[in-house]
Amino acid sequence: MSFAAPLALLWALLAIPIVVFYVLKIRLRQEPVSTTLFWNRIYDEKSPRSIWRRLRHWVSLLLQILLLAMLVLALASPYFLWEILQPRRIVLVIDDSASMRAEDVEPSRLDLAKQMALAEISGMRFRDEMAVVAAGTQPRVLCGLTGHERTLREAVDQVEPTDGVTAVAEAVELGRRLLADAPHGKIVVLSDGRFQDAEKLAKDEAVDFRTLGTPAGNVALTRFQVRRSLVDPIGYVILAEVANLSDESAERRLEIDLGDSPVDVFPLRLAPGETWSKTIEKVSVDGGHLVARLSGEDALAVDDVASAILPHRRRQRVVLVSEENLFLRMALAANPLVDLERITEPPASYDDDALYVFHRVVPEVALPRQAFFLDPREATDFWTVGGELADPIVVEQDEDSPLMQHVRLDNVVLPKARSLKPTGKAQTLAEAVSGDPLFFAVEERGRTALVLTVNLDEGDLTFRTAFPILVTNALGWFAGESGELQRALACGEVADVQLVDGDANADDGAASRFAVVSPTGAVDLLPNGSTTASLGPLDTCGIWRVVKVPVAEDAAEAGDEKLVEAANAPTAEVVTELAVNLASAQESDLRVPSELTNAGSPTVLSAGFAGWLNRPLWFWLAAMAFGLCVAEWFLYQRRWIG
Amino acid sequence: MALFGSDFLKRLEYLSLVSRRVFRGSLLAQRRTTQFGAGIEFADHREYAAGDDLRYLDWNVYARHGDMLLKRFQEEEDLHVYFLLDCSPSMGFGDPAKFDLARRATAALAYVALANLDRISVIAFADRIVADFPLARGKNRILSLLEFLEDLPLEGGDTNFGASMQEFVRRNQRVGLAIVVSDLFAPDGFERGLDLLRHRRYEPHVLQLHDPREARPDLLGDVELFDVENGSTRKVTVTEKALATYRRLFDEHQAAVAEYCRERGIGCTQATTATPFDDLILRMMRVAGAVA
Repeated sequence: MSFAAPLALLWALLAIPIVVFYVLKIRLRQEPVSTTLFWNRIYDEKSPRSIWRRLRHWVSLLLQILLLAMLVLALASPYFLWEILQPRRIVLVIDDSASMRAEDVEPSRLDLAKQMALAEISGMRFRDEMAVVAAGTQPRVLCGLTGHERTLREAVDQVEPTDGVTAVAEAVELGRRLLADAPHGKIVVLSDGRFQDAEKLAKDEAVDFRTLGTPAGNVALTRFQVRRSLVDPIGYVILAEVANLSDESAERRLEIDLGDSPVDVFPLRLAPGETWSKTIEKVSVDGGHLVARLSGEDALAVDDVASAILPHRRRQRVVLVSEENLFLRMALAANPLVDLERITEPPASYDDDALYVFHRVVPEVALPRQAFFLDPREATDFWTVGGELADPIVVEQDEDSPLMQHVRLDNVVLPKARSLKPTGKAQTLAEAVSGDPLFFAVEERGRTALVLTVNLDEGDLTFRTAFPILVTNALGWFAGESGELQRALACGEVADVQLVDGDANADDGAASRFAVVSPTGAVDLLPNGSTTASLGPLDTCGIWRVVKVPVAEDAAEAGDEKLVEAANAPTAEVVTELAVNLASAQESDLRVPSELTNAGSPTVLSAGFAGWLNRPLWFWLAAMAFGLCVAEWFLYQRRWIG
Repeated sequence: MALFGSDFLKRLEYLSLVSRRVFRGSLLAQRRTTQFGAGIEFADHREYAAGDDLRYLDWNVYARHGDMLLKRFQEEEDLHVYFLLDCSPSMGFGDPAKFDLARRATAALAYVALANLDRISVIAFADRIVADFPLARGKNRILSLLEFLEDLPLEGGDTNFGASMQEFVRRNQRVGLAIVVSDLFAPDGFERGLDLLRHRRYEPHVLQLHDPREARPDLLGDVELFDVENGSTRKVTVTEKALATYRRLFDEHQAAVAEYCRERGIGCTQATTATPFDDLILRMMRVAGAVA
């Protein structure tokens, strides 16, 4: 046995004053009495205990000396050699993924895992070291290797349930790196085993895999997406998928709401293991939060709700400058988002928010910000006019451009098309065999022009379905609604967000801050001057918002708290919204693999009991000193109270 | 403050007057002795024997019946009052000391007796008789009595009440009232001494004094008891339980004294040192009939 602090043994010198004072103390104070007649009768009756009475003062001194000895030894912190040679290094990997929210065990899988972790901490031996790693979404080291129990307990208490997918394998790898080459290293995994290669990991000798949970069934929304219709300007398509991840059939009802308005309800009867999937077409000008809910209760609530963002459609003012072309007018009027006006002469001034459609008319002075030219007969800054093309055939079209989606001009007869030469850089969308552009887009000096050189009165373009599609594409292109799909993200994904649109907000960048507001209301301020941001991993299901918060002049005094408050206010300017769903069949499947099933509770008890046995020697010395204190107290009380 | 100051003497006089009023008809001097002698009160007859004084022959009886009977008369004489004062060191215990109260009470009772023409004597005892004040009569002896009491020291060892009374009754003296003033803390008991007095036709009366701290000591913990009577010590640990036992034993002792006296018709007065001496005297006379 050795001592960690041998100098503390000097405290043993305190025995000298203890003995001196004790000897002084047992010189009893003398009390005169008129007679000892009665006292003698009292104490002579107790004569059988007289030996104890005589000795107890010395027993008391002995106890005090022993007490001092225990305390001095405890201060000297004795230890055995094997404690130095065999300290354990343990990494506690706690799975805090979404499936650990399941309440098939009391109080929940994660809480049980935390209890087991605390029991494991209690079971630490003196000089053991432990680390805590959370394994949800992405592994996080909550506490590095330490032997300080309170720090470890606080780290375990920090583990909060996430909605992310399990990252146990990555966490175990992280644990291996933490252990490095420690001779008595061990990784303790507390998980429900709902991840790939769990069985393989459980067989790893360096890993002590402790499984929690039961083969609980669950019905989950495994996919939920929405996008605007490609052909219907106000239409949208919902993709919903519900999986019955249990061994029994289930009856549920799927309710889909857009904002506060119900969109559709589907009663579902799902066989064990069945997956129900459906594409639903709906129409709405309004966008917003599309929320799907599964009725009924099961062990995991987070996958019973899914959200998606439906892009809003704005109405579009379109001014048709044309003598008359029925096909063109009807194609424009057919779009329910369009507020159509028709004039015959170019206006003197232009509305920047309106789209001007010029049919055979070309303004003489300036061009509007957005203009769609059909069969222009005059030259402008953007093009020069050549001769007629007799029977041009489209030989090449830009398949990738949104303007040409679902538009096939291969066999369309386009007689008397004009030969136009763009003066600047133009995007050719359809090209004749002669190389002349028949359909092209020009963007220059803040103005956008789309030019179709085809004579609408000749040929059969206006009779083709391609024509209204082409017009609709053009309207959409001008409206800037290229993002038809705002994909709902899977929990744990990282999203790139454009914070500042070009250089439009560059000026007021210093006067405002961007912040990310989680579905739970937690606010993260983004760095000053950011134009783009990578958000994530987004490990909470629900709607995440990126808001722009104005910075007041007294922001320096108010600090970030005021910004956080402003970010959570309903009046905060929303830059973008992101829908995050669990969307993981593997995570929603709560059925613990039978190969991994073991009992959790007995482990908690045995570890807790072992904790008491594994205390350092000084602890037991201090405990014995306490026991001696109690004994001395008992003797003291016995002396005085009897 | 002197034990017998002027204030004490004033209160003695007052006590004398009060006692006369209260005990009229039964004062000390009117007690009759059981001696036959030359008194004036007829007692009974006896046969005439040769040599008897013919003056006491009952001639009326002789004239009527022819019997020679001699008249006998009850002799009247002074009552002898003996004060048996305990002066063992245990009487010095208390605040004020029991001995002070004992001496004052003795002085007061002696004054009342002297004032009523009785003879008094004070015998101080401890393990034996250590001092005595010889029989005296007349109020003029009170000052010398007070002087004797004031100078009386505490001496001797353990109280030996029996031996002291044995020594007292052996004296060739007339019997009378024997007032025992003591704490009666005697290792060999108090019964033998009182029995001796009774058997020798003394009329004992007990005035038992104790200090409140004797009845309810305030000791607790490890102490060394020092017996002031014999100087012995004893190391004990006084617990609450031991204290309770002590109180019980003390009360039993007091009750035993009272019961013993009651059963044998002995007057008994028990008081603490907190009792003023004059109250003690009045109470003693009124309740216990000390001088009936």
